[in-house]
Amino acid sequence: MPKRARAVRWGVPVAAVAVVAVAVGSGPVIAAVQGDPVLPERTAEQLLADVTARWGSGTLPPMSGTIIETASLGVPGLSALAGESTASPLSLLAGSHQVKIWYGAEDRLRLALPGPMSEHDLIVNGEQTWWWDSAANTAVRFRTPAEPAPTPLPTVITPQDAAERALAAAGDSTGVTVGNDATVAGRAAYELVLTPKAATSLIRDVRLAVDGETLIPLRVQLYAKGAAEPAFEVGFDSVTFSRPAPENFDFTPPPGATVKDGEIPALPRERVAAAAKDEEVKVVGSGWSAVVVAPFDAAQLPEAATTVLSSATPVSGDWGSGRLIRTKVVSVLLTDDGRVLAGAVTPEALYQAAGTR
Amino acid sequence: MSRRDPLRLLRSEVGLTFRRPRNLALLGVLAVVPVLVGVGLRIAGDGAEGPQAFLSQVAGNGVVLTFAAFFVMVPLILPLAVAVVAGDAIAGEANLGTLRYLLTAPAGRTHLLAVKYGNIVIFAFTACLVVAVAGLAAGFALFPVGPVTLLSGTTVPLADGLLRIGLVALYTAAGMAALGALALAVSTLTEAPIGAIAATVVLLVVAQVLQAIPALSAIKPYLLTSWWNVADGALRDPIGFDRMGEGLLAYLAYVVIFGSIAWARFTGKDVTA
Repeated sequence: MPKRARAVRWGVPVAAVAVVAVAVGSGPVIAAVQGDPVLPERTAEQLLADVTARWGSGTLPPMSGTIIETASLGVPGLSALAGESTASPLSLLAGSHQVKIWYGAEDRLRLALPGPMSEHDLIVNGEQTWWWDSAANTAVRFRTPAEPAPTPLPTVITPQDAAERALAAAGDSTGVTVGNDATVAGRAAYELVLTPKAATSLIRDVRLAVDGETLIPLRVQLYAKGAAEPAFEVGFDSVTFSRPAPENFDFTPPPGATVKDGEIPALPRERVAAAAKDEEVKVVGSGWSAVVVAPFDAAQLPEAATTVLSSATPVSGDWGSGRLIRTKVVSVLLTDDGRVLAGAVTPEALYQAAGTR
Repeated sequence: MSRRDPLRLLRSEVGLTFRRPRNLALLGVLAVVPVLVGVGLRIAGDGAEGPQAFLSQVAGNGVVLTFAAFFVMVPLILPLAVAVVAGDAIAGEANLGTLRYLLTAPAGRTHLLAVKYGNIVIFAFTACLVVAVAGLAAGFALFPVGPVTLLSGTTVPLADGLLRIGLVALYTAAGMAALGALALAVSTLTEAPIGAIAATVVLLVVAQVLQAIPALSAIKPYLLTSWWNVADGALRDPIGFDRMGEGLLAYLAYVVIFGSIAWARFTGKDVTA
């Protein structure tokens, strides 16, 4: 067979690879060709007001969808730690994870975290809240509190929840602008950009994508300074605004499963407040540059934290000496005199806080 | 050349495959493993934790044994069986010197390759059918059967559970057929069938090692093996059709790419043996 004919034949697999590559990349390509969606102009104030007016009352439309959560916080040693059990909620702090959500009403919610041959489910149905762990074959029953349910998983937050927190943090310390319109889960969305004004902040901005039609927050991205990719991102990958099937909110513990009654753990903020009353924990500064100072005893740490701790670098200065852990968005200083200082700020800001007692 | 010719060639190829003692032995092993898993779980009892917690259900429900069997066999045993048949497809004929005679038939090389791949697909589906049937038979014989508890904590009736077994078997068979395309491409590159089989298995193991490294999670969607585990979507409520659909597309991509590599190599190859 002539060489040329042979070369032509090998063009077919090359073409096949190209076709597959185009098919894989066609989503981004189509988005790039279509360009940014164009939504009616809204100023930041208008957008904030409209959003607050629309869902400040707490009535979101029924919906279901898939949320993708991606964290690359740059915590040293964390990926190895979380990699040990991909089914554990701790693993949400590193890598990319899928969460399925079904939302019927304020008291009808299901979140599913699929893992390999396992699943975690949070089901809120009226007065009852269930936490199902298929790997442990355990169902924990909570009484849904009168307030909107705080999930027992602080790391899994819906875009709504995250948006609320981001908006609450805005104040004089934050520049709020409307960025280019974005496409999230195939929907045109406004992008609200929150920029910390404090120079010591490690956070460049927080980007909140708000659906152009329903004004529901679809995605939250947190960018560290000098990073092209978000350090943390939670957003819808797909979403439909229709009422989910009611059986999603029915949960009966399967036969043979361990059923426990659980207490919803006190919210971290309440715990911090309680601790602050005892003058154990104090907050230096405010807004984006706030630094939390607390007593610290390495012996009390869970064993799992030691891998993270071992990556700390020794530092010293006018303020004393200690060990520093740097991540993309958070710095933690463990001083040798038994304090821990943490904040989304540069190490210099921590040293300053450590020096002022 | 009559119009029924293509099927006749495929039929003779399938007949040869399922008459070969080696292939029958492979299918026998595939049938024995679910029984061994069942007997093992029967003797050891439950008490498993972690991802195996689902398997501990087997003690109370024989239907789950089939899911357990697939879970145990998908990483190595099933793909090994498919790799043996697919790796042998072209290289085996070349090795025995029979490829030359096959090519004297007026069917043409493209046609012959299509028949070879059709045969591999049939073997892949048969292999999964054997696992499912052996698992069900052992499960019904060794344990009580009843409604199945899914990963989502929902309990579904027995008939629904059986349908889900069918779904797992079909999805797994599709994944094995995709592996078959890869093995067929390797098989056209060599005249030593054992080399083609070994190369396929090595690629398989390398893919599973890469898949387990958290730092390389970005390449995971491109690895064939990482889509095999998505079969557990059949055990969720609602069924994880979205991920399984993506998996089928990934399989299709593998079949297209490696099928065309096999074609380019086989139709342009000098057959000397």
